[in-house]
Amino acid sequence: MADGTDRLRGAATRLPRWLTSDHPFPWLFPASAVLLVFGLYPVLYSLWLTFIKRNPVTRIEKFQPSWNWSKVFADDRVIDAVSVTFTYTAIALVIQLILGLGIALLLDSDKKGFGLLRSLMILPLVVPPAVTGMMFLLMYDGSFGVLSHMLYGLGLLSPETPILTGGTTALWGVIIADVWQWTPFMVLIMLAGLRALPKDPFEAAAIDGATDVQAFFRLTLPMMSKIIALAVLIRGIDLFRIFDYIKVMTDSGPGTATETLTAYAGTIYFKNADFPYASTVSLLTLILVVIVANVFIKIFKVKF
Amino acid sequence: MEDSGIKLALRYIVSIVIVGLFMFPIAWWALTSVKPISAVFNKDKVVVFDFKPTLENYRVTILGQRKQDFAENQSSSFGTSGGSSYDGRGSIVSSIIVAVGSTALTVTLALLASYGLSRIRFWGSQGFLNWILSQRFLPPIAIIVPLVFIFHDLGLRDTHLGLIIAHTLINIPIAVLLLKSFMDDIPLDVDQAAMIDGATRFQCFWMVVLPLAKGGVAATAVLCFIFSWTEFLLSLFLTNSIRTIPVKITTYVTSTGSEWGYISALGTSAILPSFIFILLVQRHLVRGLTMGAIKD
Repeated sequence: MADGTDRLRGAATRLPRWLTSDHPFPWLFPASAVLLVFGLYPVLYSLWLTFIKRNPVTRIEKFQPSWNWSKVFADDRVIDAVSVTFTYTAIALVIQLILGLGIALLLDSDKKGFGLLRSLMILPLVVPPAVTGMMFLLMYDGSFGVLSHMLYGLGLLSPETPILTGGTTALWGVIIADVWQWTPFMVLIMLAGLRALPKDPFEAAAIDGATDVQAFFRLTLPMMSKIIALAVLIRGIDLFRIFDYIKVMTDSGPGTATETLTAYAGTIYFKNADFPYASTVSLLTLILVVIVANVFIKIFKVKF
Repeated sequence: MEDSGIKLALRYIVSIVIVGLFMFPIAWWALTSVKPISAVFNKDKVVVFDFKPTLENYRVTILGQRKQDFAENQSSSFGTSGGSSYDGRGSIVSSIIVAVGSTALTVTLALLASYGLSRIRFWGSQGFLNWILSQRFLPPIAIIVPLVFIFHDLGLRDTHLGLIIAHTLINIPIAVLLLKSFMDDIPLDVDQAAMIDGATRFQCFWMVVLPLAKGGVAATAVLCFIFSWTEFLLSLFLTNSIRTIPVKITTYVTSTGSEWGYISALGTSAILPSFIFILLVQRHLVRGLTMGAIKD
């Protein structure tokens, strides 16, 4: 018996312990390697790039750490982009949250047919965002777009200024596309939350004569607060790094009315070829995301 | 809250109207794809269904045939606006290669990592989890510039393999967290029983836990496929000639006008597989979208 276990161990003892499957290293290494090489290293590379001054015309690069960062804080377009990004995120988030909660309450029923409606509701989520942008571009078209015609009919818009060409309406145009695509995300999560609610408090409240509205504000909302906070966090971060809709639908226009931080970084990259400055704006986006997200996590005690 | 009578009828009506509103853009899009060009651009009959359905747009975009009304001699004078530039077959093949490849790679790497995180206790595991989670929220734009340089140096720029790696990078955090949550559902007893019988950790993983986690693995794979299928930013920056469908579609918009028939035909073709896949895994969708934080 002693021989048997020795022979079994023989193969294992030749390897150092951290290479055996009892050690976490072999399990975590492959995925970590990809994240380190193609995730962390580029961030550090990006940080290093921000210290480079590049002349886009002569392509001469030299090390000058303060150049891009002093430029970024003095750049009016950055300040505009920050405000557009926050405006966009806040408006879209509030609409999606309220609609999502409302629709979830509506569809949370075991009656026949609601299962099908819930399934249909998921579909917008998996449309490629670039395609969503195109869909709305088609429907917003000034002369033959179906949504434009509805808006003309309602008197909300005039044919002279289609939604995406107006300075203030363009952002709404993009937000509507975002709301269409991502409200289902909120609906799904809120439905999961509603399904998990205990029944007893609601029965007790009904016996005490509480109305549905009271039950919603006194019971449903507080009990769902954790889930709502989590959904807001995930959606908020994704909204903050919005790129696809802006790129496809308005390309930051008209002028820079819909230019978010990521869109501006893309513009600098593609049009000016000023890679260090594009990196600086990108990293600013990352820094803002990290700060806002962490403040949010602290305040609402979100836990994964 | 059980409704009855009028209240229930009202609830049905409102629900159907709202879901209908959300379905409308998709329906309109699909409708546009079977409209002849003259009907798409007819501004006097925007919502009137007065046209003969045609599959012309699909013939050009997914079968790669030439435009019927476009004579050979004309195509040369128009340069790229001939039939071939609307041929979406290449982008469909690219999208499939990239989505399948990155799904396979992501799930393989994430399975190993999630088993390690779920089963082996070690110092720093919570920190490691947080790091993975933070990667999920990393804006792709923050890494795109150096990634282009690195890919260029490695010869990965504009290759399928490069895009597979890029999509794997953004999917790994989601896949790891999701698979870990599925593995956490499997009791530790099954591992311990196997190990008492002399199984190594790897045998536990391969022969015990993996078969039990099949459903979760399938759901994760489908979500990874969809995320890769719909990804836009990385594909846009990292490729020039190899275009995935979302990027290819945006090239149909030109300064002289947009070919809405072709755009919607290729777009509809791109949406359909996603619809089928997502309905297959809708049971696990909430868990997937919240990376395991909410289990339903």
